[in-house]
Amino acid sequence: MEEILKIEHLVKDFGNNKVLKDIDFSVNKGDVISIIGSSGSGKSTLLRCINMLEDATGGSILYHGKDILKGEVNEDAYRTRVGMVFQSFNLFNNYTVLDNCILGQTHALKRNKTEAKAKAMQYLTKVGMDQYINAKPRQLSGGQKQRVAIARALSMDPEVLLFDEPTSALDPEMVGEVLDVMSNLARTGMTMLVVTHEMAFARDISSRVMFMSDGKIEEEGSPKEIFYNPKSERTKEFLSRFTNG
Amino acid sequence: MTLAEMNFFQRMLYILERYSGSLLRGAATTMAIAIICTALGCVIGFAVGLVQTIEPKKKDGLFKRGLLKVVKAILTAYVEVFRGTPMMLQAAFIYYGASSLFNINLGMWTAAIIIVSINTGAYMAETVRGGILSVDPGQKEGARAIGLSQSQSMMLVILPQALRNVMPQIGNNLIINIKDTCVLSIIGTVELFFTFRSISGALYTYFEAATITMIIYFILTFACSRILRWVESKMDGPSNFDLATTDMLAFTSGLTKYDEKKGGTH
Ligand SMILES: Nc1ncnc2c1ncn2[C@@H]1O[C@H](COP(=O)(O)OP(=O)(O)OP(=O)(O)O)[C@@H](O)[C@H]1O
Ligand SMILES: [Mg+2]
Repeated sequence: MEEILKIEHLVKDFGNNKVLKDIDFSVNKGDVISIIGSSGSGKSTLLRCINMLEDATGGSILYHGKDILKGEVNEDAYRTRVGMVFQSFNLFNNYTVLDNCILGQTHALKRNKTEAKAKAMQYLTKVGMDQYINAKPRQLSGGQKQRVAIARALSMDPEVLLFDEPTSALDPEMVGEVLDVMSNLARTGMTMLVVTHEMAFARDISSRVMFMSDGKIEEEGSPKEIFYNPKSERTKEFLSRFTNG
Repeated sequence: MTLAEMNFFQRMLYILERYSGSLLRGAATTMAIAIICTALGCVIGFAVGLVQTIEPKKKDGLFKRGLLKVVKAILTAYVEVFRGTPMMLQAAFIYYGASSLFNINLGMWTAAIIIVSINTGAYMAETVRGGILSVDPGQKEGARAIGLSQSQSMMLVILPQALRNVMPQIGNNLIINIKDTCVLSIIGTVELFFTFRSISGALYTYFEAATITMIIYFILTFACSRILRWVESKMDGPSNFDLATTDMLAFTSGLTKYDEKKGGTH
C-alpha cells in the first residue's frame, strides 16, 4: 500500500491552549478516513495543519517521506497535491463557476487554457454543475457552491482531498447532493480525509474512522469497530448522543 | 449695448460667446488633472494599502521584521501628513520648496500632478487597506488551498475584490479631485477655477461667471459619477446567468463532449 501522508507526534498550540497533542496516523492511497469528534476537539485544526494553513508547533508531516514542516517540499506545489474543501465553500466571488475551476490549473499548475477548461468541464459534469459554468458563486445555492468547490479541488488532480465539515453549512435538503458526490468520489478510489458530523457517511462510506477528543486521537478503527464495538468510554459516550438524538 | 446694460442672461451669453474656448480648455485641464491624478493616486494607494496589510510571518528573520516595521511607519507618516494638511499649502510647499531648496523648477503640470496624486494616494491608502481587510479571509484560504502562491492569491483573488469594494471611494476621490484642482490656481495652473477668476477679473461679472463655472463643474462631476456607477455594475456582471446549453458546452469545453442523455445533473 502506498503511503501518501504520515503524521508523527503532531502538536499545535494556540498560545498556551494546546489544541493538538501528539497526533499520529498515516494516510494511504485510496483511504477514505472519517474524522469524528465533538466541537473543539481539534479536527479543523488538524486538517488546517496538514494543508499548512496553520503552522504546526511540533512533530512532522511527511508527504511521501519528505517533511513539509521542515520545508522539504515546496509549500504551493504541495497544496496542489493535497486539496481542501471548506465548510464555507470559499469559492472565488470574483470569478464564474468555470473560472473558479480553471484559475488554479492555469496559474499553479501552468496548464494551458484548453486543457484546463476540458478538465474543469469534466469535473463540473461529474458533480452535476456543468450547466452552471457561467454563474457567479453568489447566484448558487449552498449545495451547488459546495459541489463546485469539490470540482475546483478535483480539477487540480490532487492525490488527497481534505474535507472540513463540507455539509455543516448547508440546509438539510442540500446535504444529500453533496454527500452523493463525495460517496461517488470515495467509490472511484479518491483518497479522502473527511471531518464530518454525518455519522451515516462515516459508517457507510469510509474505510477508517478516527474519533478525536481533546486534541488526541482517542480511537481509530474500521467503521464497524468504531460504530458497533467502540472500546473507549469517550467514543461510546459521543456516539450515544447520535443514536439517542 | 454695454455689459452694464445687459440683463443676467445676456451677460451669461456674452461670457459664453467670448470665453467658451477658455472655459473648455479650463474644463479639459481640470478633467485631465483629476483623471490622471486619481489613477496615479489609486496606484499609490494600492501599493501603500497593500504594504500596510502585510503581516510578518513567523519564519521571517529579525531584519525582515524590522524593515517591514520601518517601511510601515514611513507610510503611516505619509498618510497622516498628507491627509492632515490642506492641499493648497502642500502645493505651495512642494512647488516653491523644490525651487528654493533644490533649485528644481517643477513645471506647472508636473507639480500639479505630483501634488494631487500623492494627496489622493494618502486618502486611497486607508481606503484600500480597509477594502483588502473587508475581503472574507476564506477567499485567501481557498486560493492558498489549491496551491496559488501568496502573490497570485493577492493579484487574482483578493485585490480584484478589494478594488470592487473601493470603487465607490475611487469615484468619490475623482469628484473631489475635479473640484479640488481649483487650489492649484495658487501655483498658476490654468484650470477651470483659474479661468473663472480670469473672466470675472476681466469683466467684473462675478455672479454670471460663477454660475456658468458652477454649471460646468456640476456637469463634469455628475457625468463622472454616472459613468462610475455604470463601471461598477459592469464589474458586478449580469445579475442573472444563462444555463449552459448543449451547444455552448461543446463550444466552451473544447475537448469534452456534452452527453445529451445524462442531462444537466449527474
Ligand atoms: N486561530 C485560532 N486561535 C486560537 N485558538 C484557536 C484558533 N483556531 C482554533 N482554536 C481553538 O482550537 C480548539 C480546536 O478548534 P477546532 O476548530 O480545531 O475544533 P473542531 O474540532 O474543528 O470543532 P468544530 O466541530 O466545532 O468545528 C478550540 O478550542 C478553538 O478555540
Ligand atoms: Mg471544525
